[in-house]
Amino acid sequence: MMELPLVSMLDALGQFLRPSTLGEVVVNGLSKAAVYAMIAGGLTLIFGLMGVLNFAHGSLTMFGAYLGGLVLVLAVGQTTGVAARLAYFFVAAVVAFGLLAALGGAIEVGLIRPLYDRPPIYQILLTFGVTLVLDELARIVVDFYGLQPISDWQAALGTKPGVLSSSYEFAGVSANGLALFEIVVGALVVGAVWGFLTRTRYGLVVRAGSEDSEMAEALGIDVRRVFTTVFALGAGIAGVAGLLLAWDPKWGASVPLAAETLLPAFVVVIIGGLGTFRGTVYAALLVGLVDATMTWWFVNAIQFSALPEMTIFLLLVLVLIVKPQGLFGVAEVGGH
Amino acid sequence: MSDADAPEAADTGDALLEVADVHTYYGESHILEGVSLSVDEGEVVALIGRNGVGKTTTLRSVLQLTAPREGSVRFRGEELVGEATNEVARRGVGWIPEERRVFSQLTVAENVRIAAPADGDPDAALELAFDTFPALAERPDAKAGALSGGQQQMLAIARGLVGDNDLLLVDEPSEGLAPQIVADVARALATVAEETTLLLVEQNLPLAMDLADRFYLLDNGQVVTDGEATSGVTDDEEIRRYLSA
Repeated sequence: MMELPLVSMLDALGQFLRPSTLGEVVVNGLSKAAVYAMIAGGLTLIFGLMGVLNFAHGSLTMFGAYLGGLVLVLAVGQTTGVAARLAYFFVAAVVAFGLLAALGGAIEVGLIRPLYDRPPIYQILLTFGVTLVLDELARIVVDFYGLQPISDWQAALGTKPGVLSSSYEFAGVSANGLALFEIVVGALVVGAVWGFLTRTRYGLVVRAGSEDSEMAEALGIDVRRVFTTVFALGAGIAGVAGLLLAWDPKWGASVPLAAETLLPAFVVVIIGGLGTFRGTVYAALLVGLVDATMTWWFVNAIQFSALPEMTIFLLLVLVLIVKPQGLFGVAEVGGH
Repeated sequence: MSDADAPEAADTGDALLEVADVHTYYGESHILEGVSLSVDEGEVVALIGRNGVGKTTTLRSVLQLTAPREGSVRFRGEELVGEATNEVARRGVGWIPEERRVFSQLTVAENVRIAAPADGDPDAALELAFDTFPALAERPDAKAGALSGGQQQMLAIARGLVGDNDLLLVDEPSEGLAPQIVADVARALATVAEETTLLLVEQNLPLAMDLADRFYLLDNGQVVTDGEATSGVTDDEEIRRYLSA
């Protein structure tokens, strides 16, 4: 006898509401949130202070995946232990952050700075052009070294310690090691940026400059230098996010990673409210948890696995209808 | 009071600020058409005139927020034209802008701390601000955007006070405030003036004359007259004609 859809949905609801299932969905949601917060955090910092929509942000993430992955591939051998692999990850994170921050700073000084007095469309077109150049450059280099640009870099994936591929059970809740690692790294990065913004004088300067850069300048603050620092910081965070994704088989280091990360990053930034880091973190949590919930439903109950990715865009539409400036958005940012 | 003809150049004795024949434009609009004025150390100088005659633009020109195309702005004898605004500020020129422009998302304490010199003591800055404006001390952790208009003006003045400035450019401090609050603001400015030189743009003529030692009257982007600031100025027919034209 054919089962009524309503009955099967109620069964699925019962299964979903079990503590073990809810726990798994929350862990998966938090790991997605950590990734989203990292790929969107730099984007929102840059937009918040400078009013620049950086279309090159995804490419910077992709560069981070390759450069950080390169450090891991060079450092990690088959006999390298778990602790050493994890330690090398953090070394690679520092390298990826430094290199991408330097590249971001150079892009800001050399290309974007001359356009601050022009309408925003100039900066959008410029960063879009930078994306094309960076992606093509990556494609050429990756191809030169015999790798497939559109396939995930398996050598970088292979440096991941086995403990991150295993599942662990706590109080009946099963969690993947990589998901837990992503939560830890995401929390560390978000915490570091949060601490920088709220506990340091430079962070205070960034927040003030985001609100009224002319007034900040009149208080003796070199806002242009702050712009460079924040662009470098945003690019560096993108680099670390890219490195983290190089270990995640759902993403992986590949040239298309640039576009794959840019879209959800924009979604999170817009939902949170353009230019607010706090809003971006909360939006990442919301998007991550909704994504994980819908993934569970579409895989276990509705059996239509292509739909979960669409749910974050539906969420975007919903937020834009209800609160067009985003959940924590202000009327205007980047008032330079 | 001097002759109604515009002065050709500021008195260039040992003035703290000398503005000489400054021409400033917004796009192709010629706003300042050769403004000259000077401010001596310890003075309060009022810049008066109708709306749109170039008072705010004069302050912005001194700060290099809107850089003059011609003319000279000297502070302690050093040229400011061509310098970045942050460099002008670091040399000791502070700004209390029109409409306050406090950082609304920052707390009261953060607004004060950011105005203190980077190499200074932020706690000392807070103490100075809160001693001068006790009302602010009651809400140090409140978002500046949540303050009343009068409290925001106090905060804007406090920001100028703690900035270790030798000259404060004060733009329309009484604008949009209730009469009782205007009196508080006037008292606050008088306190600040004991320590700092002020160039004050103010539409409220009695308030300006009460605070100032001298005044300049601007019309159509030029200084048309200047003189000692006395209560008699408010009744001067020529001045009233310029202000009401």
